[in-house]
Amino acid sequence: MSFVVPSRAALQGLIVYAGFVMIFLFFALVLHDRGFLSAQNLTNIVLQTAPATVLAVGLVFVLASGEIDLSFGAAVALSAIVAASVMRAHSWPLGVAAGLATGIAVGLVNGVIVAYARLPSFLVTLATMGVIAGTAREISDLQSIPVTAEPFIAVFGGGTLFGIPSLFLWTLAALAVGHLVFRETRFGAHVLAVGDNPRAALVSGIRVARLRLTVLMVSGGCAGLAGLLYAGRLQAARYTLGESDLMTVIAAVIVGGTALNGGRGTIPGALVGSLMMGMLSNGLILMGLSVSWQMIIKGLIVLAAVAVSLREPNR
Amino acid sequence: MTFLARLLVTILGLLLPGVTLAQTPTTTGPNGEPATPAASVVLSEDDIAKLREGGYTAAFAWHEVYDWSSAVSRGAQDEFARLGIKVVAETNAGFDAARQTADVETVLTLKPSILISLPVDSEAGRATYGKVAAAGTRLVFIDNAASGLTQGTDFVTTVTSDRAVIGARTAEAMNDALGGAGNVGYIFHDANFQVTNQRDQAFAWNVKNRFPGLKIVAEAGMADPARIEDIANAMLTQHPEITGIYVPWTEPALGVLAVLRQLGRNDVKIVSIDLNEPAALDMAKGGAVTALIADEAYGIGVTAARAAALSLLGRKVDPLLVVGAGIVRKDNLAQGWRASLNADAPQSVLEALK
Repeated sequence: MSFVVPSRAALQGLIVYAGFVMIFLFFALVLHDRGFLSAQNLTNIVLQTAPATVLAVGLVFVLASGEIDLSFGAAVALSAIVAASVMRAHSWPLGVAAGLATGIAVGLVNGVIVAYARLPSFLVTLATMGVIAGTAREISDLQSIPVTAEPFIAVFGGGTLFGIPSLFLWTLAALAVGHLVFRETRFGAHVLAVGDNPRAALVSGIRVARLRLTVLMVSGGCAGLAGLLYAGRLQAARYTLGESDLMTVIAAVIVGGTALNGGRGTIPGALVGSLMMGMLSNGLILMGLSVSWQMIIKGLIVLAAVAVSLREPNR
Repeated sequence: MTFLARLLVTILGLLLPGVTLAQTPTTTGPNGEPATPAASVVLSEDDIAKLREGGYTAAFAWHEVYDWSSAVSRGAQDEFARLGIKVVAETNAGFDAARQTADVETVLTLKPSILISLPVDSEAGRATYGKVAAAGTRLVFIDNAASGLTQGTDFVTTVTSDRAVIGARTAEAMNDALGGAGNVGYIFHDANFQVTNQRDQAFAWNVKNRFPGLKIVAEAGMADPARIEDIANAMLTQHPEITGIYVPWTEPALGVLAVLRQLGRNDVKIVSIDLNEPAALDMAKGGAVTALIADEAYGIGVTAARAAALSLLGRKVDPLLVVGAGIVRKDNLAQGWRASLNADAPQSVLEALK
């Protein structure tokens, strides 16, 4: 009989799952008579976090490559508004294409500036966040755009396939594709290599600039999809959509075990981080806490989780 | 209107300067529903006894939590306590429509008898509130109802302030601030939001029709409150003759105040709507903020709680219930604050008043 001693990094990776289970058990115990464990409530948590989880998938690629994207929240709003506007004027499939294309285009612009003008992604995406948010406000004239195309609402919002909510299926698809690409392809390995040591990656023949462009486009594409999910769920698009997701998603991804400075990333961890954030919001509301206390406790728990996740293992 | 009636109206209009016979502003709901005074919503002792035995619960799904919504919440909570209704949850969407949808879903898990909410985005109304009535929860909207829902079946009523009254009071306050004569800069909320639109229009109507000494010399739409300083700067540069500025609510009024300070314009008066501490503090110190029009926010909460309670008892409630508003100036600041928010004015304001 032999024992495999897990590395410290591997143990650290497990902490997020342990934390998730602990928080879940705590709420299950405290809120057992307040509907927390009901199938409806647990489904709510998964569906409510669906757009954030999709965004988290994109962000794992960006962070793991050593970059950051601060513009994805604004890109969500712009994609949703473009999709809703095109849908209203033309057809819903065209709206979907336009929404996704908008997200990818945002990523392309970010990527070209970051990769080829060699400007830091933090500053580039901070600046483009303003441009995108302003554009979303301008083209929507600060109005909400209603979404009335029933097929679109079914596919991206409240519909089901074989009894499974479509939001869940989209999230699952994003997670599965993201995980496979991240873990099983050369591209995923290159993302980690560039995030770990860009100079070494360059020397070893990895096309670093193109990779940076691609990860930002992946993030933009995820923002486009999240925008569609929001538009479907709310049956409306508004310029504020996604704005409050920025910090939540960054926290979810880091809590999940992706390194803020690159070289380490995990899609399942991001899912758990995202679900943890959703579960915290849900549980604290069900506990009947005042709004101020919900914010304080959520902040403290996230701080604790991030502190544990960010402690670098000894190399 | 017959020809004779029209002629009579025209003659009266000529004979009575300052009285215009154009349509007077009225407060209406999104579908033109007429307003009913909040005081019409009353509960008898019998009603209260039944409610206390019902074991009812209530929840709030706020668009944002700040002075005003807290006062509404306090009014509703106090009334719920009187009626034996337990508050089980309170949420804050931070002006995020998606967050509010999630909040409402989460709150429905608790199966509250009553939900009180102010929609962030009325267009997302059906998606957010469509399941509330089906869950057996009585929904009362504050300020504006979500679109696509039917009053009486999907929701009980909408409780808001009387925007026509607010507009009239704001114009009166401006007239007083300028001593009956002056040039006014009119900044209106440039967005499709019925509450502010009706208030702004009522202000402009009252200035034009009731106060001949006042003249609106500049108009500017404010779509984004973050841009208020640019707007005020441009307005005062182009129209230095302005002596009074109307700002649609107090948060952007603080931006106008900053511009006035920067330009050293001590002669310009600000009149705005809603109470907040920095604006009240400026007023208490004799600054540019001369009057704030305050609705009975606490009363909105009390009325919402009563309307929901009546609905639980199977009683019909009118579609749009309105509370009044008063002018708060330096000389009645402490009382005005209490009347609106049912709380003492902040310590800083009370000390500045001494």
